[in-house]
Amino acid sequence: METIVKNRIKQVKKGDQNAFAEIVDIYKDKIYQLCYRMLGNSHEAEDIAQEAFIRAYVNINSYDMDKKFSTWLYRIATNLTIDRIRKKKPDFYLDAEVTGTEGLTMYSQVAADVALPEDQVETMELQQMIQKEILKLPDKYRSVIVLKYIDELSLIEISEILDMPIGTVKTRIHRGREALRKQLRHL
Amino acid sequence: MKCSEQMKERIHHYLDNDIKQEDERILREHLQSCTDCTQHLHELEKSIALVQSTSHIEAPVDFTQAIMGRLPKEKKTVGVNR
Repeated sequence: METIVKNRIKQVKKGDQNAFAEIVDIYKDKIYQLCYRMLGNSHEAEDIAQEAFIRAYVNINSYDMDKKFSTWLYRIATNLTIDRIRKKKPDFYLDAEVTGTEGLTMYSQVAADVALPEDQVETMELQQMIQKEILKLPDKYRSVIVLKYIDELSLIEISEILDMPIGTVKTRIHRGREALRKQLRHL
Repeated sequence: MKCSEQMKERIHHYLDNDIKQEDERILREHLQSCTDCTQHLHELEKSIALVQSTSHIEAPVDFTQAIMGRLPKEKKTVGVNR
């Protein structure tokens, strides 16, 4: 995988824009998922995930070919989501009622275009509840938890992505897990 | 939880697959007799499983196309400006 990606990057560096589309295709789901779990909102997630790929493209010459491309890309995306969380207006949440509706939230808006059988609706409700709990984590815990358990990255990769010692990553994962335990144990 | 911080640390190292053999032996022995720590571990494992259960979403269908449309145009005559 990394070999394919590195060949495509060489092409991109030579000015072949189309080679970049393949790179986007390979990583789009992972990066989008990271952004969605960090931000909890599909519009913002799409916006930030796109921004991450565009920054990667624009700055491709500063990518060190000796290192793993995905680590570099994850770093760009994680930094962007953390910046967004810090700038985020506190008055916009997915579970806030949509103006002019009764009991209609952005969750139902997002889900409205597909009719789902009952059991899938239940699964979605549970997932939305878990998502809300993830969003309650302070961003320094949220990022490590999402990278470890949703993107399934190793502690070493997480330490490289976040540019912090592995000991700090471990401590944050421990604290993040404890916070989640308190929030989720009654589910 | 009344047990030592050290025991709690062991639980987390265990969850990270990062526990020394000796510590794992101590933890296993302790869990046999301590319901608090056993429950604590189960709650942590349950939280992890719940978080992992959310991990299957995909990027929107037109995602790649949207990015390709937003990339700056290559300036072939003036050299690449990035």
